[in-house]
Amino acid sequence: MSVKIRFFARFRELLGSDIMTDVAAGTMFTPLITTVARKNPEGYIAIFDEKGDFREFVILMKNGKRIDIADAAKTPVTDGDEIAVFPPVAGG
Amino acid sequence: MISIQTDDVDIGGLIQAAKKQGTGAVVVFDGIVRDDDITEMELEAYEDVATQELEKIAKDATEQFRLLHVDIIHRIGRLAVGENILIIIVAAGHRKEAYAGSRFIIEAIKAGVPIWKKELTKDGGRWVPGDHRHGKPKTT
Repeated sequence: MSVKIRFFARFRELLGSDIMTDVAAGTMFTPLITTVARKNPEGYIAIFDEKGDFREFVILMKNGKRIDIADAAKTPVTDGDEIAVFPPVAGG
Repeated sequence: MISIQTDDVDIGGLIQAAKKQGTGAVVVFDGIVRDDDITEMELEAYEDVATQELEKIAKDATEQFRLLHVDIIHRIGRLAVGENILIIIVAAGHRKEAYAGSRFIIEAIKAGVPIWKKELTKDGGRWVPGDHRHGKPKTT
């Protein structure tokens, strides 16, 4: 199955955006983003701390709905999902 | 009108269109690119989600403050110093509701709508730090 990962702002500059990736059934949110972010060490460090946890300011979305960082490790992704990862917003 | 777009808007025309029957006050918020020793500003949005969230903010403000009309236009792309970034036009029967509704909308946008700003300078660029509260309301 495949999902789309979208990074925004500084994360997009480091890791790209609209990344289509094939994942195995049962893949959870956190390991998916970990794998993709590791393609650029600077991008990984921007999103994850030294323990491999999402930094507290990182915002996660699945199909336009926010996912709590605490729930990301146990949130599965499914075919066709759109995953978004971005830093704090600064509009207005 | 709720829109995320690159083009500027005719604020005067929007004010005229906002004057629905029963309007006693129109409040206009116009956020502009400030001259903070920058050359330009680059704005980026998660457009589909941001538009949905702007629509919800407008609906919530309309219900909470009995607004008669709401426009929210947030621009993206490259903007020069002095250009409009965000235009909020609110019409209500009385000034109290119009001011409160406008304030509610701008604070909600800043707290949670997925839009980002990068200040471009002669030496490169810097992302404007966002709010870390993940959309939770301010406590102060």
